[in-house]
Amino acid sequence: MRPPRRRRRFHYAGSVSFRTIDELEGALRGADYLPDRGLATALFLALALEKPVLLEGEAGVGKTEAAKALATALDARLIRLQCYEGLDVSHAVYEWNYPRQLLHIRAAQEGSVSEEELFGPEFLIRRPLLEAIDSEGPVVLLIDEIDRADEEFEAFLLEVLSDFQITIPELGTIRARRRPAVILTSNRTRELHDALKRRALFHWIGHPSIEREVEIVMLRVPGIPERLAKEAAAFVRGLRALDLAKPPGVAETIDWAQALAALGREEIDAEVVEQTLGSVLKYREDIETVRDETLVGLIEEARATANR
Amino acid sequence: MQGAAIVRHVVTFGRVLREVGIEVGPGRVEDAVLGLGAVDLTRQDDVYFTLRQTLVSRHDELELFDRAFVAWFLRGPVAPLVRQKQTRRFADRVARDTLEAGGDDGDEADPSTPHELGASGHELLREKDFAEMTPEEFERVRKLMAAIARTRPRRQSRRRTPDARGDRLDLRRLCRNSLRSGGEPIEQPWKGRKTVPRKLVVLCDISGSMDAYARALLFYLHAIVGSGSGVEAFAFGTRLTRLTPDLATRDPEAALARANEIAVDWGSGTRIGGSLAEFNAIYGRRAFSRGAVVVIVSDGWERDDPDLVGREMAKLARAAYAVVWVNPLKGNPEYQPLAGGMRAALPFVDRFLPGHNLRSLEELGAVLAGIERRHAA
Repeated sequence: MRPPRRRRRFHYAGSVSFRTIDELEGALRGADYLPDRGLATALFLALALEKPVLLEGEAGVGKTEAAKALATALDARLIRLQCYEGLDVSHAVYEWNYPRQLLHIRAAQEGSVSEEELFGPEFLIRRPLLEAIDSEGPVVLLIDEIDRADEEFEAFLLEVLSDFQITIPELGTIRARRRPAVILTSNRTRELHDALKRRALFHWIGHPSIEREVEIVMLRVPGIPERLAKEAAAFVRGLRALDLAKPPGVAETIDWAQALAALGREEIDAEVVEQTLGSVLKYREDIETVRDETLVGLIEEARATANR
Repeated sequence: MQGAAIVRHVVTFGRVLREVGIEVGPGRVEDAVLGLGAVDLTRQDDVYFTLRQTLVSRHDELELFDRAFVAWFLRGPVAPLVRQKQTRRFADRVARDTLEAGGDDGDEADPSTPHELGASGHELLREKDFAEMTPEEFERVRKLMAAIARTRPRRQSRRRTPDARGDRLDLRRLCRNSLRSGGEPIEQPWKGRKTVPRKLVVLCDISGSMDAYARALLFYLHAIVGSGSGVEAFAFGTRLTRLTPDLATRDPEAALARANEIAVDWGSGTRIGGSLAEFNAIYGRRAFSRGAVVVIVSDGWERDDPDLVGREMAKLARAAYAVVWVNPLKGNPEYQPLAGGMRAALPFVDRFLPGHNLRSLEELGAVLAGIERRHAA
């Protein structure tokens, strides 16, 4: 093995910096986000080692939220690139403003237009990746659902993430003045390329413990009765143990708790759960699975858990 | 702990991980050392997460990592660490050693053995039921399968590339070209969508009654997995196991042997419904089947509840682009789909094909190449 590189000072995206995991954890809490220790460690290491971090986990466990909270904690700008199939350079990096270019050529009429003039910065439309690299201030770059983009784009991204520079043939190479903190998320609809994984830290976000989920609900739904928060969290936890097509994530717990609080409830019962189940379960089959006895059993269990 | 001691610890731990089948490159070890330099070493959970996040990059390796961590750092009693998968390097070494030994595979490498079959021999072989083939015939058929496997279902990509018959103007080129003509777009460059291979998922029944066919189909699968990305292969008997990584690196016989160990309980029948449920719950949720052509290879003999087969087939068919069922028994002209599982599944099957000989595999290849969405109600 090569000897480890000289230990670097921890300077990264932001002007705000954290010396310990605890400090970062505190700052994330300040941004209304309650990370578990593992996630806090992952984000801390991403900053300390200046590496992208890949967050995987079931839908709704807070992958995207983590990036938003990190941006707030760092007092950095959040730039988000939502991936989809067919995403290409013109939507991810830059595009020329063709209508303006054409008008410009027309307007010049007699005098000829030079290429430099036509492909100057004023005709450039900056997309998220260019924006993140060419930004003055600190940036958190969120590359969301990378598994949805196709492999060609993944290969391109790999290049950007290793050099933090982008070449525009007409303008030259643009280098990052400071490295953005990079967070990638994936729902694992396909395996990502090993090369990309090798370049990133990896953290798997599971569903939170019940205590933490109650805490999260209390934080995100101000004014909710504690008992209701506990019952809602316990009920959702019960749902996750069932064999469902899409088990609810923390996001669903929050939505649901919001609905229950808005209805002025102090506790859950069969009637209100049935009315509001649609904000927790998004598939018809899942709702059908949780009918009648199952529902009553889950509610009883949840209320018992909240009593403890 | 001193810096040097940390390095030594991490390097050794990296070796332990490699031993259990987690790939750990030197870059990762370096990250782990750097990471440990940044966190509080007296907190066990911080050390744990730092090592896990730097050394592991796949969700399915987390459990192995946890056990290795407990055994190595906490010296705790754990279940024996099982080598779950061989690394490619190991497999290569085995292959090389076998070659050098010049052992039983000698005749295969002999150039004087004609691989091509005479026309008449070829025809006979194409029609012959896999279950009735001699090992020699089987060996010859294997070679023909690779050719069939090259046909894959395709779909339009959302990505556009320059294409004279495309459907959108290529504005970037248009602008550039019209520079020369003072803003007049004289030439009109177009771009259009290209087609890319559609996802293909194959679920192969490898229980006792399917043995002869499963072997043949597995060689076919091996060839398909080798044909490019976007192919996922699974085997099932009493349970389901994912074969894709094995088929990508190993020889199909070894993959079949491993799948047999994991997924087949000899003499206890096939759990088609249960296996489909497992697929839907684990891989369906990860969108493996969404928009894919799903091929199920099975004789349809369900040990448990045929209704479960129907329910899980319904789920699968909703997510998939098309579902093809290959049943080797259908090769017999008198075959009627009477088996409970088969009857329950048929309403959700778009194409129902035999798969008992080479000709029927060719037919499968042709169907896959041209398949269209046509869900039976």
